[in-house]
Amino acid sequence: MDGTGGNVTGLLRNIGLRFAIAALVCAATASSLTGCRSHESGSSCLKCHAGLETASSTHSGCVPCHGGNERGTTAEAAHAGMFGAADPSYPARWERGCGSCHRDQLERMRGSQMFTNAGMVAQIQATWEGEAHGANFAAHSGATFRANGDTLTLRSVAELDHLSGELYRKFCARCHVGKQNDATDGSGHPAGCAACHFPFGPGATYEGRDRTMHGKAPHSATHTMQGLPPMSACVQCHHRSGRIALTFQGLNDGNNALVPTRDGGPGPLGGSDGRSFTHIAADAHFLAGMECIDCHTSREVMGDGYSSERMKGQLEVACEDCHGDGTKRPRFVTAVREHEPPLRESRQYGYPLQSGARVALTSRGRPFSNVFARDESVMVALKRSGRLLRSPVVTGSAEHRIAGHDRMACSTCHSRTVTQCYGCHTTYDRRESSWDFVKDQETPGLFTEHEDVRKLYPFPLAVDGAGHVAPMTPGCQTFVTEVREDGVVTRDDAVAVFRGKPQLRFAPFFGHNTGTKAIGCAECHGDPTFVGFGQHAVEAGRIRPTLLCEKNSEKPLDGFLAMDAKGVTSHAAIARDGGRPLLPRELVRFFAVNLCLDCHASASDPIYRKRLDSRALDDTLHRRLLGAGR
Amino acid sequence: MRWTTLFIAACWALAADASAWSATRAVTPPRAMPPHAALRDTSCVRCHAAQRSILSSRMATRAGEREFARRAFGRDGDAFFAQSCNGCHVRSCDDCHREGRMFVAKPADAACLKCHRGDNVGWDYHGRAAREDHERYQRGATADGQRVLKMVPDVHQQKGMACSACHDVHTLHEGRGRVKTCRECHPRPDARVAEHAITAHLDRMQCSSCHSAWASQEYGTFLVRPRTPEQREAFESLPSWGEWKKSGYLRLQDAPPLGLDSHGLVSPIRPRFLLFATDTKRGWENRPLAAEWRAFFPHTVRRGTVTCTGCHDAPRRFLLERDEDRRYRPDEDGLPLKSFWNTQGQTLVNGRFFPAERFQQMNRKTPQYVREHLKQWQGILRHVEGSSSR
Repeated sequence: MDGTGGNVTGLLRNIGLRFAIAALVCAATASSLTGCRSHESGSSCLKCHAGLETASSTHSGCVPCHGGNERGTTAEAAHAGMFGAADPSYPARWERGCGSCHRDQLERMRGSQMFTNAGMVAQIQATWEGEAHGANFAAHSGATFRANGDTLTLRSVAELDHLSGELYRKFCARCHVGKQNDATDGSGHPAGCAACHFPFGPGATYEGRDRTMHGKAPHSATHTMQGLPPMSACVQCHHRSGRIALTFQGLNDGNNALVPTRDGGPGPLGGSDGRSFTHIAADAHFLAGMECIDCHTSREVMGDGYSSERMKGQLEVACEDCHGDGTKRPRFVTAVREHEPPLRESRQYGYPLQSGARVALTSRGRPFSNVFARDESVMVALKRSGRLLRSPVVTGSAEHRIAGHDRMACSTCHSRTVTQCYGCHTTYDRRESSWDFVKDQETPGLFTEHEDVRKLYPFPLAVDGAGHVAPMTPGCQTFVTEVREDGVVTRDDAVAVFRGKPQLRFAPFFGHNTGTKAIGCAECHGDPTFVGFGQHAVEAGRIRPTLLCEKNSEKPLDGFLAMDAKGVTSHAAIARDGGRPLLPRELVRFFAVNLCLDCHASASDPIYRKRLDSRALDDTLHRRLLGAGR
Repeated sequence: MRWTTLFIAACWALAADASAWSATRAVTPPRAMPPHAALRDTSCVRCHAAQRSILSSRMATRAGEREFARRAFGRDGDAFFAQSCNGCHVRSCDDCHREGRMFVAKPADAACLKCHRGDNVGWDYHGRAAREDHERYQRGATADGQRVLKMVPDVHQQKGMACSACHDVHTLHEGRGRVKTCRECHPRPDARVAEHAITAHLDRMQCSSCHSAWASQEYGTFLVRPRTPEQREAFESLPSWGEWKKSGYLRLQDAPPLGLDSHGLVSPIRPRFLLFATDTKRGWENRPLAAEWRAFFPHTVRRGTVTCTGCHDAPRRFLLERDEDRRYRPDEDGLPLKSFWNTQGQTLVNGRFFPAERFQQMNRKTPQYVREHLKQWQGILRHVEGSSSR
């Protein structure tokens, strides 16, 4: 509920703000309604741009979006006064471009993580500088609103005079939605609204029917607006870091092997920056035909008008919304009025909802526009095609009512894989220079990265910031080397101080590689790797890592726990407030299940409905049974 | 050139069980090779006549890897062998016995590791694994001219034992093909250890099945012969094996799969090699050249082991992975394998894969299994319970 305002004052501000936004939307819409819809007769634009696709049935004119003079008879005259010739949606122009009609969406975008990248900057700061409390750097400076309605002032990352700021500006800023990325290797995207709604194609060239533009780059693939962003638009950015857009489709950005070759060149599938992707099992939702937009609401993607400091604050969709949990079924609300979001938004979907539809609610209590109840079933309408899927509801099933599992994220059991990159060794060399994508200039300092290993399975579990047991991934295991202008190495593979000591970090991570079949009970409980010991050998009284941290041979590189004769030691942080590895008493409960599993192998066995009694083995019945074979 | 020598060392390991091939797979017998063909210096053996046999041993002739090259490349095998495997074989006594300007009677491990490095048994003993091929992963400490991924060393190495402690002069020089076995020094495994209480474990398994803590494994070894400037540029970031570029599709360093060795005992196994080649001039694109596994002994011995469920009820460990359980999908990348951890389409050249019916049998929860399994976990739990997070 942290996104809906915490107190009365906040609520009033919240309501006030909503009125203000609504008023702005109305005003903007009224003033430019004709502009959006008209296609003035006698336009000269199409004389040169014959064949140019109409953006959409409601976006048919040229001047309302692009400016210029459609009565000009020469290219020069016609183009005079244009704003954003290729992209009227980029942030410096979007007030006059898309924003002149879509004020609501523009204001939401201004506070969204995709635009501010504030969470990303904060994570990099934590990794490179240690925690930086109270700092609110973002891709752009500006004011937005916190969930409680307070003003949130964001400082530009250009002012973050530290390596973390520079790393963001030279690496991460390329994926920022406010900035065009000219790359022609599949990672390029326009800036602003067009990043998702007029995405670049694979080579970032215009491939439409306007001959004057055909083959020119960087340009959107066509001039047809993608009201529903295709998955390829999401992949342009989300194929890095967590790589969720890849794993969702069953692609693995693994070890960059470049093989098997394809047509004699690197294969099997090429990624940006010379990377290669191989195939793994795809997410069950992808296999069912779902795209990113079928789960992720526009509020999650574009924001809801309020800013959170981290990405998590912007999320509202949870597995339970469609599948329920052990005890609670999905929740629904009836959508009646035509301007309510479910009916309004679904008008452009393949399956428009009708008044009276019982639509599912997100974890924040806001309605989906494509998930609804039909009789006793939960139906998911694919937004693009309108095809209906029946969502299995797990409520009441024995497997989902295991005592203790109620505090587990669904992804704990249902992730086929979780992308894990161990050992990110970054060198910052002041003797070289590279491009700063925020300052738009070449500046001294070049970052290069090397890695140790990548893994997919098994993956470690720990407690996330919400108190749930969830999959973890290194986030990040950054080792920093810094080389001065004179070649002197001032830091050599250094680990940043986090929570008072130099330590590596893991972060909760939903790998977007869901399987319908859960990981088996014994497969998880019988393998200490799952609770953070890394790959290991179990010796008397010890769990000894086999893949070692270069700095300390007692510690696993691929985990955060070790056990020696003195007991369990935790030596990496879970980089979320409240996040932590399992405590020894929790580990005892986790491992004690192995005492039961040989005889009580099924998750539906009633003994798992309540907390296990580890002393049960000493009762008469168990002693008789266990003694039988002696 | 780094990989040239590495592959030779890799080939070397293949030689260890060269004799077993003929039993499992029809092989063209190798042409007779003069044993001393490559010998540079025979002056030592004039006096040390008994040691002459080293010069006709597999370390010198490398018949094993020559045969592998022929099986994989057919009539081009010898050329491949000459080009890509021609650095690591023993040519003279100096190779092992000279340290700078000194001669040593008993070579130090460093002499062995000059060849027995990378994925080969030898490096693992010292806690070193080869890194991923792509330059993005080539970082960190260097040993024997190669980048190291830091792993836990063999407990014997940590206790100060050198290679020669088990591989003595008689093994190498007299070609008696026998080294000290685990049971020679550990005749009576501690019966208090839960796993040792199972008779079948002691009778039907190599100790290494449980006690080899990890192993370098490469699933899919690809060779690409760059013919055009574009290809040369595209594959530049990969290491070279002679004129080929080499890349591993998937590399793991965890507990290796298990199969049956030439004695019928359960033993660690690994691909050696799942070999594919691309050479556009020959019309080869990911042409499968070999799909061979070998039983072997990873020299990564630890007191500890995986837990019971690391093997029992773990079909992947025995190459019995079911289609629906597959995470990696090599077939979707065009390879003729649905899973690396399924025997289909693959051969174990010096033994055989673990039979599915035996796997079913070993998963039965017999009273003894249950009792020992409980014992194992009760032992672990005692230590966890006694611990406080520090």
